[in-house]
Amino acid sequence: MYIIDLSCISAQETYTGAIFEEGVKLHTERQYWAVEPKYKGMVPLNLLRRMSKSVRMGVGTGIPLIDRYKDIEGIIIGSANGSIKKSISFLNQIVEYNEGTLTPTDFVQSTSNSIAGTLALMGKITGYNNTHVNNGIAFESAILDALLLFEEGEYNRLLLGGVEEISQANYNVDVLRGMFKEEEVDSTQLLHADSPGTVSGEGAALFVVDAEKSDASIAKIVDVAQICHADKEAIIEKAKQFLARNHKQVDDIDALFLGLNGDNRTDYYYNHLQETLFPHQGVYVYKNLVADYYTVSSFAVWMAANLFQGKTMPPETIWKEVPDTINTVLIYNHYEGTQHGFILMERP
Amino acid sequence: MTKVLVTGMGIISAIGNNVAENRSSLQKGQTGIGRGELLDSRYVEVFPFGEVSTSTAALMESAGLAGEKGMTRTDILATVAMQEALEMADLTAAQISSSETAFISASTVGGMSMTNELYRDGNKIGEPSDYLSSYICGAHTLKLAKRYNMSGVSTTFNTACSSSANSIMFGAKLIKSGRAKRAIVGGSDGLAKFTVNGFNALRILSPKPCTPFDRDRSGLTLGEGAAFLILESEELVGDKPVYGEVTGYGNSNDAFHPSSISDDAIGIVASISQALKTANLDPSQIDYINAHGTGTENNDISEVVGIQKVFGGLPPFQSTKPYTGHTLAAAGSVEAVFCLLAMQHRELYPSLNFTNPIEGHNAIPIPQYQSDCDIKHVLSNSFGFGGNCSSLILSKV
Repeated sequence: MYIIDLSCISAQETYTGAIFEEGVKLHTERQYWAVEPKYKGMVPLNLLRRMSKSVRMGVGTGIPLIDRYKDIEGIIIGSANGSIKKSISFLNQIVEYNEGTLTPTDFVQSTSNSIAGTLALMGKITGYNNTHVNNGIAFESAILDALLLFEEGEYNRLLLGGVEEISQANYNVDVLRGMFKEEEVDSTQLLHADSPGTVSGEGAALFVVDAEKSDASIAKIVDVAQICHADKEAIIEKAKQFLARNHKQVDDIDALFLGLNGDNRTDYYYNHLQETLFPHQGVYVYKNLVADYYTVSSFAVWMAANLFQGKTMPPETIWKEVPDTINTVLIYNHYEGTQHGFILMERP
Repeated sequence: MTKVLVTGMGIISAIGNNVAENRSSLQKGQTGIGRGELLDSRYVEVFPFGEVSTSTAALMESAGLAGEKGMTRTDILATVAMQEALEMADLTAAQISSSETAFISASTVGGMSMTNELYRDGNKIGEPSDYLSSYICGAHTLKLAKRYNMSGVSTTFNTACSSSANSIMFGAKLIKSGRAKRAIVGGSDGLAKFTVNGFNALRILSPKPCTPFDRDRSGLTLGEGAAFLILESEELVGDKPVYGEVTGYGNSNDAFHPSSISDDAIGIVASISQALKTANLDPSQIDYINAHGTGTENNDISEVVGIQKVFGGLPPFQSTKPYTGHTLAAAGSVEAVFCLLAMQHRELYPSLNFTNPIEGHNAIPIPQYQSDCDIKHVLSNSFGFGGNCSSLILSKV
């Protein structure tokens, strides 16, 4: 499967691409808020006002892509929490108004499929449409869905992406279960913090993907794999199987994109895989740019695609020296040490 | 390409806590819709519901999970239905935990069924509840994957009311592609204040039990439930009993409106046509349609129009939602179980709550119980907000 175009809203200047010229943005809070574009011109204002942030970010990245490629046939989105802020606001109203008369707008957007649904509606795309919500591997599952669809031979071009938003209520719930750092750590120190927890992020990364290679191909997504509830040795085994399944040797991998997030309870998965299986490979990191969220691996795919397009990766992303030429990368990300995903990408 | 066979099924709905009870209610034409006794909502005074009559605690007890912390209604319904499906398919622990066994589920409300707990946790009121890791849609999938030590491909769908139809489709596709040999597929949704208030805000809840395809229909009735199928690649099945084959599936988007379907049923026609194409069947070969049939003004007329466009006439059809209520994410898998039962036992079930056909369409659902029916291929439709349309075709083996 080949990426031919892409768009990303994140806590960095990714929408304009300025991140590659002006450098990365420093974050000092525990929430890394997305830098949103001016949506004016993309969406009528009355519609925009009613949209949840995740729908808005999905539209902001997806609609320009749909406008550029009139032949997108289907849409597959990974979004674990969807429009969680609208959901919780609706829930709060239920409790606070004791089940009084409520407006349905928030409810209609509460299901994660409102992102893919809105894109289909605005772009009049009546083909395949699906939404994966399986927490930390929702985007990996969306990739798998697209790969299957292309293998079946009925589709040639799809819109694929991962979208997540921060809501205060969900942030609170995740604080209660110890997800985030208690101390203040800025983004330059996040990955060195050696303390429990990470920081919370949000964003949208959408890709136009083709079944076949062409001159327009930017990057190839070769394959995807996932496993849950595995220990660090099982992760090594899974990585080996994944490479073997794709007829790759360890030496074929030039660099890793690792999801290190500064949580000293679970970063050992990344270090163990890197030290044991890939001691000679370069390593990129990215959560010091955009923090952690369920579908953050879509941001890693966006970075890797930019790398293959010839962009110079910001120095903050280089964790271990990378070779001059990079043709094959392995993205490994896990969520809370519970769900693990692998994405194999190549220069087309 | 390998055939995808159904070797087990499990269900819990308002008409029974297992497959046998569900079938018995269908045969007798006995509805599960009534007054909500367990649901904590003031709307139990206003609307009927398709409630599973057993409490969460009692279900946990019978599932061997008494006292387990953080179990939501969605979690326990999923657990009960999955246990039955696994037993029926006689899968060993090693088979369930094999990396070649996929687990695909679906939910719309997930653990947001715990409205009051989420309200307090989200607003940092009082001590943290036991449900911090239970609210998110995919939580039940992750918990079950852990309980059964699963290591295969796993995902959770949320395409609103078509969610578990997509689970069945995705499981079948994984097996056909060779990425899995088996798949446990389905969905679960517990009745929740959240959804009751949501559908009430949309003004599409019926004050009386839903009357799908009736001229005077007045909205949908919410239900709850879960259902799972065990799908296996034909070469694994051997002498096991087989309840059907997943032969067709279609998925499309109506791209018309956030919460209603177009008058010309674009998405419905596309998903049914795609399912027929995948199954390599002619419309005339479909012997029974289990319609989405929610009982809303919009759904039923669009669905009749869509079916008529594809089929010319109307094969025997009905909605079984007057039995169970609309079980949202579980509807696709709940109704797939009903289709498989009809096929296996060569019977059609009576349609409830139907009096007059929609004007201008002579669309009359199956009137009474029929036995000795030769049912080879059945179609099941599921449509959701966001324009999502999915259709499945199940066939006799």
